[in-house]
Amino acid sequence: MKKKIWTLCSVFVAAVAVIVVTAYSQENVKSVQDSAFKTKMRPGAVFLHDEHNKKAEIDDCGTCHHVYKDGFKVEDETSEDRECSECHKIDGDPVPLVTKYHLRCKGCHEEKKAGPIMCSECHVR
Amino acid sequence: MAEPAVNTTKQITDEGLVKGASKLTPEKIEQVINSVIKAETGARLKTYVDICVHCGLCSEACHFYLSHDNDPKFSPAGKVKQTIWEILNKKGKVDAEFIKRASEIASTECNLCRRCAMYCPFGIDIAYLLITMRRICHKLGVTPQYIQDTAHSHSATMNQMWVKDDEWIDCLMWQEDEARGEIPNIRIPIEKEGAEIYYSVIGPEPKFRAQLIYQAAVIMHAAGVDWTMPATPGWDNSDMCMFTGDFEMMARLKKVHYESASRLKVKKIVMGECGHAFRSVYDVGNRALGWKMPPIPMVHAIEFYYELIKDGKIKIAKKYQKPVTFHDPCNTVRGRGLHEMGRFVTNATCEKLIEMHPNREHNYCCSAGGGVINCGPPYKMTRVDGNRIKAEQLFAAKAKGAKTIIAPCHNCHGGLEDIVHHYGLDMDIKFLGDIIYETMEKPE
Amino acid sequence: MHDIYNFVSGPLVWVSFVLFIGGCIYRLISMAALAKKKDPVVYDYMNLRYALRSIFHWIIPFRSENMKRHPVFTIVTFAFHICLILVPLFLFAHIILIKESWNISWWFLSDSTADVMTLIVVGSCIYFLVRRIVQPEVKFLTSPSDYLILAIVAAPFITGFWTYHQFAGHKVMGIIHILSGEIMLVAIPFTRLSHMIFFAFTRGYMGSEFGAIRHVKDW
Repeated sequence: MKKKIWTLCSVFVAAVAVIVVTAYSQENVKSVQDSAFKTKMRPGAVFLHDEHNKKAEIDDCGTCHHVYKDGFKVEDETSEDRECSECHKIDGDPVPLVTKYHLRCKGCHEEKKAGPIMCSECHVR
Repeated sequence: MAEPAVNTTKQITDEGLVKGASKLTPEKIEQVINSVIKAETGARLKTYVDICVHCGLCSEACHFYLSHDNDPKFSPAGKVKQTIWEILNKKGKVDAEFIKRASEIASTECNLCRRCAMYCPFGIDIAYLLITMRRICHKLGVTPQYIQDTAHSHSATMNQMWVKDDEWIDCLMWQEDEARGEIPNIRIPIEKEGAEIYYSVIGPEPKFRAQLIYQAAVIMHAAGVDWTMPATPGWDNSDMCMFTGDFEMMARLKKVHYESASRLKVKKIVMGECGHAFRSVYDVGNRALGWKMPPIPMVHAIEFYYELIKDGKIKIAKKYQKPVTFHDPCNTVRGRGLHEMGRFVTNATCEKLIEMHPNREHNYCCSAGGGVINCGPPYKMTRVDGNRIKAEQLFAAKAKGAKTIIAPCHNCHGGLEDIVHHYGLDMDIKFLGDIIYETMEKPE
Repeated sequence: MHDIYNFVSGPLVWVSFVLFIGGCIYRLISMAALAKKKDPVVYDYMNLRYALRSIFHWIIPFRSENMKRHPVFTIVTFAFHICLILVPLFLFAHIILIKESWNISWWFLSDSTADVMTLIVVGSCIYFLVRRIVQPEVKFLTSPSDYLILAIVAAPFITGFWTYHQFAGHKVMGIIHILSGEIMLVAIPFTRLSHMIFFAFTRGYMGSEFGAIRHVKDW
């Protein structure tokens, strides 16, 4: 009996662990976050990483997680292990970094004529 | 208070307005309105009408509004709404009845005292808008009869009171004679070429306030002033044509006035204690003739007395005993900022000055100026009922002890007299000249 | 949504700015020319020192007698005008849009501050509306166009607040927000809102007449 309870508990804990880990893993991002933004004007943009990339047919991580050297994009290198603000430094003024994010998302949406473009479409309360 | 303001809804019959309006046709009204708007107005009218945000903040500036229990029909912008806005909106397509009422509003329910100009946040010159309405009414021949009569007198005689040329000279000689009873060697120098000072008065002085000329002569004599008065038309500095909207005649009057002074080669014009004449000579008439400022230096009596007393040319023997209060006439305060000089003279000649409130630039109008008293008996109650606030202001000064009102302006005198009588204020009204004459050291 | 958003936030912005700036310049130049032709006295009597003296006295709260007489109105109208001008110019979202388009940016208000200031504008508009309906001397002067102008001014702030807080239908409201801002800009030179461009001149002229000719204050 005791053994049975132990097994059930272990299964439950494992299940929760799996759910939590999946939810927070790089592969299943739900919103755009960057630790460089100290005070947030609006909630981070809603972004379902995998669904988005599937729908948008983006296979190359470097499309967004690019690496630039001396002003040129390095083709085989990607930067998904880093935050954008590691390169796009904030230096007290958030405007340039916010703009980088916006141009990355909204710029592409405008170009492809698909996806959200108005403030409240991404920054959902 | 003797009685509350109730008579204002009473229909006033004015022959000038009735007759004038009866001759109008819709075509004539439209043509005249549009010709005045097109030919005589421009950026000022357009800007003032375009930017007014209808906020109503000018209301409390107006004694008519305050005296009629804040009736919006009497607010400055309210009066503009009933006149200029309407004719602009309808592009001149209004009827004779409208013109009659517009003339009445512009000529008898506004004193052009410009107090509202100090209350409009945008600095809109509301008096200018209402004088433009008067101008249109003048061109339509719909002007209140009494003031039109004075305007006729101006055109026929160059003075306001139908005084004939010889009567004028006669009056001066009579006052000289009278004054000699008091000071044997006194003169009223007529036509003295090259005199320092040219003294000018308004038509009503020789007509019914001749003692003011006598008093002026005594003051001039005591101060040892080199002065003169002309024997020719031009002696009258008054100007009802400015208030009827007869600007052509206004310019002629000022031309004759300035020409008589330049013919006598005087250094300076000093004018008697009149407000509207000061406005005409110092501010409006000169512009009509193309002079930015008066071509000959000119001062109001307040400033002249101030200089005489400050320079010690006149000494005060015994100060005026009764406590006084000082009424700032619109045309000397909002027209020339003479309020402190007026108080200097008052303090030099009177024991005690008790201020009325508001005072100086913010003083309430007498409700007689701007030609309203000249519109005559039909409108007496318009201005007396329309200035209950003045009576309240004076009552407050009286409660503090003031017994005499000093008002250095003819129209203010007339207006305040009616207010004092109607509301039972029982106060004396005096000119600064009266007080100086009474208190000064007189030569043997 | 893409097409309509791009239209109102693209070409229509250009159109409204061209009409706003062009309209202001046109109104100023045509008024200056009209003054030269019909009211040349304005040029002769305009006096820089006294014009500035008057403007200075009237853009500072409680410097004029009339402002002292109406403390509530004075506070409301000053708060209203300050917020009305500052919020659109220094709103973070506006700055970001400008940065995205032209790569220029400047100082911005925090969103919470801007939120309060927006409410001040809307609240002031309600105050003006109530005043217009309730106070007889204002009611008497009021024409339908006065309500329309009030609505034109209030609309961008109400819709902006709505969109920011994502109340029901906020996407459509976002479009209306942009449109209403454009309508307000275009309305400035061609309605009574033109007091924005002419205030300095009428105030300055009155200041010059009172100061230089009549030697008296005008406040």
